[in-house]
Amino acid sequence: MRRVYPREDRCINCHLCEVACIVEHSKSKHVIDAFHVEGLRFNREDSRDVIDPVEALAIGRAKPLNRTRVDVVDSVFVSTNCRHCAEPDCVLACKNGSLYVNHDGRVLVDEDKCVGCWMCVMACRYGAIQRNPTRQNVPDVANNGINLHCDLCPDRDVPACVWVCPTNALVFEDREVA
Amino acid sequence: MEYYEEQDRLTTLGLRRTRKDDWHHGFPEYKVERDDDRCIRCLVCVRQCPYEATFYDPERGRVYNRDENCVNCRRCEMMCPTNAIEIRPWGAFRDNGNWKKGTIRAVYKQADTGAVNLTGLGNDAEYVSYFDRMVLDASQVTNPSIDPLREPMELRTFIGRKPEKWTDPEEYPNLRCEVPIIFAPMSFGAISLNFQKGLARAAREMGTYFNTGEGGLHPDLRDFGQNAMVQVASGRFGVDLNYLNQGAAVEIKIGQGAKPGIGGHLPGEKVTVEVSRTRMIPEGSDAISPAPQHDIYSIEDLRLLIYALKEATEYRKPVSVKIAAVHNVAAIASGIARAGADIVVLDGFRGGTGAAPTIIRNHVGIPVEVAIAQVDQRLRDEGIRHEVSLIAAGGIRSSGDVVKALALGADAVYIATAAMIAVGCTVCQQCHRGRCAWGITTNRADLAPRLPVDIAAERLANLIDGWAHEIKEMLGMMGLNSIESLRGNRLKLRGVGMTQVELDTLGISQAGR
Repeated sequence: MRRVYPREDRCINCHLCEVACIVEHSKSKHVIDAFHVEGLRFNREDSRDVIDPVEALAIGRAKPLNRTRVDVVDSVFVSTNCRHCAEPDCVLACKNGSLYVNHDGRVLVDEDKCVGCWMCVMACRYGAIQRNPTRQNVPDVANNGINLHCDLCPDRDVPACVWVCPTNALVFEDREVA
Repeated sequence: MEYYEEQDRLTTLGLRRTRKDDWHHGFPEYKVERDDDRCIRCLVCVRQCPYEATFYDPERGRVYNRDENCVNCRRCEMMCPTNAIEIRPWGAFRDNGNWKKGTIRAVYKQADTGAVNLTGLGNDAEYVSYFDRMVLDASQVTNPSIDPLREPMELRTFIGRKPEKWTDPEEYPNLRCEVPIIFAPMSFGAISLNFQKGLARAAREMGTYFNTGEGGLHPDLRDFGQNAMVQVASGRFGVDLNYLNQGAAVEIKIGQGAKPGIGGHLPGEKVTVEVSRTRMIPEGSDAISPAPQHDIYSIEDLRLLIYALKEATEYRKPVSVKIAAVHNVAAIASGIARAGADIVVLDGFRGGTGAAPTIIRNHVGIPVEVAIAQVDQRLRDEGIRHEVSLIAAGGIRSSGDVVKALALGADAVYIATAAMIAVGCTVCQQCHRGRCAWGITTNRADLAPRLPVDIAAERLANLIDGWAHEIKEMLGMMGLNSIESLRGNRLKLRGVGMTQVELDTLGISQAGR
């Protein structure tokens, strides 16, 4: 199975993979619309644009979140996303079966089932699972949101992050080890 | 950035003030225009700018610029995913043909600092380009042109001393170049290791050579020794017996076109651990090469070093001597040939550099076109042209320039600035600052990965391949089928818009004659 692998010696910390991910998972798939029309930006916590995600959802301005994330340690950068492990810890940890391994090997989440308990976040050894606060399946509970992780862009031949990377720091290939 | 108080430095615009000791930054040269309707605040530009010319203000949720820091490297323009950025020249002084913007700013800068203005890359002053005033011949009716797509065309050439009569080839080591284009000396330290690896790989792929410059040969490049010319400069950085024997040829660097008469200068900030190991100098120390080679004060001294290097390499490698093209270059080159050199490199005044005083870069030396013509003629007159190969360096911008340089008498050319442009250089002339936004002239850990080795190698090989095709086309057009028939064939050149003295110096005729 082909997966996205980062090459940290090539990552230049531009975060274009995040932009591409957001655009690919938006409704319009248009870069400016994805940011300016579909959503008010609220994923950047240092931004004044931060508004309550539930509020954003209520006014229909919730744009998708980036499923890959560039981690920065000193001058080492690496784009982290779901490894789609062959034997995923997150799926074992999931208490209600909303995470599953798809027939094609991808680890996917049933967005209608996830209750936001975050066992998957605890279990993932790569830190590749985030919370998506724009959705909530359990009403009247503190807003936990649902699981958000890479889906390997099912509509594309090559995931958007790999396609956009200017230095080929992300590769989409079949390797022996998961 | 010193224009703002420390706490405002990277987050807000703050209050800008004019500092009497930093006047040249008071007039920004470029303005970064950002279309806010398009800006999606992805902050790619902020992260990519190594000059701190752009920043994000979280209070206002907007991206702002410190235009005075912008050097017009255009990295942000290229990386912006929405094409929201445009960089424009800004801050023109009152129109004055004599006091141009750069001249005025240079005075400001020196009045600010009292120091020597440094710069990178090659001469940017508006001198006459003789390459642009020469035109090539083509075959019509009376002699057939050759179609390189259907007929064989040879670009292979051999660089080094040629025997007078048949003899054992072992005695006359030559460099075999599949194309007459060699990557010019650029040292590891001045350029990133990735770029040098890219040069090495492209050289191997295209059957040509790269030159280590004076910075030694990094252990990772030992495998590419067969395609390396190793340089011995006045600083002797990284030179040992092993180094000399790794390369395909040894080059003695006397001078550099961008700064004839002064030695190389690698600022301490660029001397990282790897650079210090390769150069065999302490980390963080300035690597300042002496202006002359202190064991060479005469042609006789040069002969001693040439033969010392030949002894060290057991006469198995050609020895090259690189000089800057200066006045009286023909006599100097003749002396070098007689001193036993196998290759003479003439570096014209448009040649680039990693760091040089602006005043020297812009005012010292002569164009390589006249140097090649004069040296070739002088060596022919003296009957020793076969004893050395000539390499033209400094100012080769296209395959047209290559063909013209060969027709003037060069055996091959060096390209460096063109190679840098091939991998992203935008000619912003900030090489000396060690924070190249394109990862070419820096080894800073966060910047160097911007130029991956495979991308560099592929683009460089493409460039050489493209030029090789064009050279073949031009040869065929002139009715020639090998590079050997072009060398020194000045009948294929004509001058346009030159004086008789200029034509005579170049040894070519006026167009139409």
